[in-house]
Amino acid sequence: MSGAPTLAGAAAVAEAPVEGSSRPTRPDTRAVRASRRRVVFLLPAAALMGVLGVFPLLQLVWMSLHDVTQRTINAPGWQFAGLENYAQGFAAGESGPALGRTLVVVLVVTVLGMVGGFTAAVALRTAGRWSGFLLALMVFVWALPPVVNGSVWKFLLGDGGLVNTVLLALGAQTPVPFLYDTTWALLSVAFVGAFAVIPFNALVYRAALLTIDPEVFEAAALDGATRWGEVRYVMIPAVRATTLVLLVLTIVYAFRSFDFIYVMTYGGPGTATNTLPFLGYLQAFSRYDYGLGAATSVLAVVGVLVLAAVYARSIRKEEADS
Amino acid sequence: MNLKAGPVAVTVKAAFTLLYGLPILWIVLTSLKSSSDVFGTQSSLLFRPTLDAYARSLDGALLTALGQSVTIATGTTALVLLVAVPGAYGLARTRGWVATVGLGLLVVLQMLPQTAQVIPLFDLLGNWGMLDQVGAVILADAALLTPFATLLLRPFFRSVPPSLEEAGALDGAGTLRTFWSIALPIARNGVLTVASITFLLAWGEFLYAVRFFLTPGKYPLSALLSQQVSAFGIDWPGLMALAVLTSIPILIVFTATYRLLRDGLTVGAVK
Repeated sequence: MSGAPTLAGAAAVAEAPVEGSSRPTRPDTRAVRASRRRVVFLLPAAALMGVLGVFPLLQLVWMSLHDVTQRTINAPGWQFAGLENYAQGFAAGESGPALGRTLVVVLVVTVLGMVGGFTAAVALRTAGRWSGFLLALMVFVWALPPVVNGSVWKFLLGDGGLVNTVLLALGAQTPVPFLYDTTWALLSVAFVGAFAVIPFNALVYRAALLTIDPEVFEAAALDGATRWGEVRYVMIPAVRATTLVLLVLTIVYAFRSFDFIYVMTYGGPGTATNTLPFLGYLQAFSRYDYGLGAATSVLAVVGVLVLAAVYARSIRKEEADS
Repeated sequence: MNLKAGPVAVTVKAAFTLLYGLPILWIVLTSLKSSSDVFGTQSSLLFRPTLDAYARSLDGALLTALGQSVTIATGTTALVLLVAVPGAYGLARTRGWVATVGLGLLVVLQMLPQTAQVIPLFDLLGNWGMLDQVGAVILADAALLTPFATLLLRPFFRSVPPSLEEAGALDGAGTLRTFWSIALPIARNGVLTVASITFLLAWGEFLYAVRFFLTPGKYPLSALLSQQVSAFGIDWPGLMALAVLTSIPILIVFTATYRLLRDGLTVGAVK
């Protein structure tokens, strides 16, 4: 289930960013005292996330400002390098193109993931065995380890794989180099990223569609709405809030994804699938330049945080408007 | 609502069935082929099934990897539940800046790219002398999944009517007691959902395993698979057999908890 999992969690906090401010506070002293006592429940999570979540993040920033290589990583006191790692990443022509590739992946995954998820949900909202089976199948594929999904798609998209076999039978002259051509490779990993996120989006969209009051459809039918009309004028407006949440979650998922790249292309051919998160990984663990890798990763983190901020803002705005 | 499927809906369903069914079918079919049958159009569907690939995969190393996967996935699930269940309850029942800061941090932490966390963790775990130990991978996986688990679980606790807990408090139950015997039983489905997803995710996680174990002999199944698929000259039937073996526990957990997942994953996502 790839990066998609975390997606589920974020969906659950759709209401979180506004909550602190919007909840009415009761001046009930007993409730306040109980609330204070319950802070104790947060301690285990705070300890774990402090040591293995927040502290590593600070360490990442610290590393990005120092000269850290395989030779010096275990040495006490790293050489301070200022913003050299960042400058080096851009000067070597790595960070810029990597950011561009990340945006291509984000665009493809988001468009396919959103449209695919909604389309599947519209088809799946009908009752019946087929819909039930297909939904279970899709959620199962989503639940599979990303290495499994990545492996099978690497196989299917190979020169002698199923996709090319079908294309050749349909009259293509040569196999399409899905994983060997620089453009195709990037599109292929993005496609598999979308493939892996569509089931989750479909599941959420389906749940939203099922909450629409049947009377709305009856009224639309009386007005002579066609099936397309139902989708266009009833369903799409009804799931607007869900769309907003899923949109940002899918963008963040696409931005941070690396597992299909790891399995299918390992960043190649050449640097064709070096997205920002994967480039940082390679710089650290293939070239053993941990400082440089940390700097690239900080850029990726900043990218995600910007998206998160946009997310929180849009949710808040949505709350204020409704 | 017009619940009958029209021709468009049927076409869409057929397309998605193909898109998601075919890869599964292909994994299983390929795992049953001999190496010489893998490529070439004639043998795509008509071939003599063989268990060679499984026989080749099933050895001591595979059993070790299976054991590691079980240890990591159950250990991570236990640790995540231990931390996330009280955490989610706390966040559902506290107010003020602590809850706001906690929620904000969790949202940020769960959005971080894993590749950005693996670099400092590799350094820190090295400093603490914890590399190459299964405990380090469990701790790292738990830290990776706790934000998501807590956030997913919180709405389940929020849907427990506070009046029930207040009634319990009036009857003399302490804070811990109200949590344990009132809130927790009501949020049971949420806990099971989170446990299931955490297990599935920990089972599939491979990046921490690849980086924090220094010898492939200690890899869990997912890490083993990730190394074989990125190698040159892939033995596809062997790889697919390994993929099937890696997926069987997923199938078991999935089958047992599908209804929970289907309904639980969308809690909080739809208003």
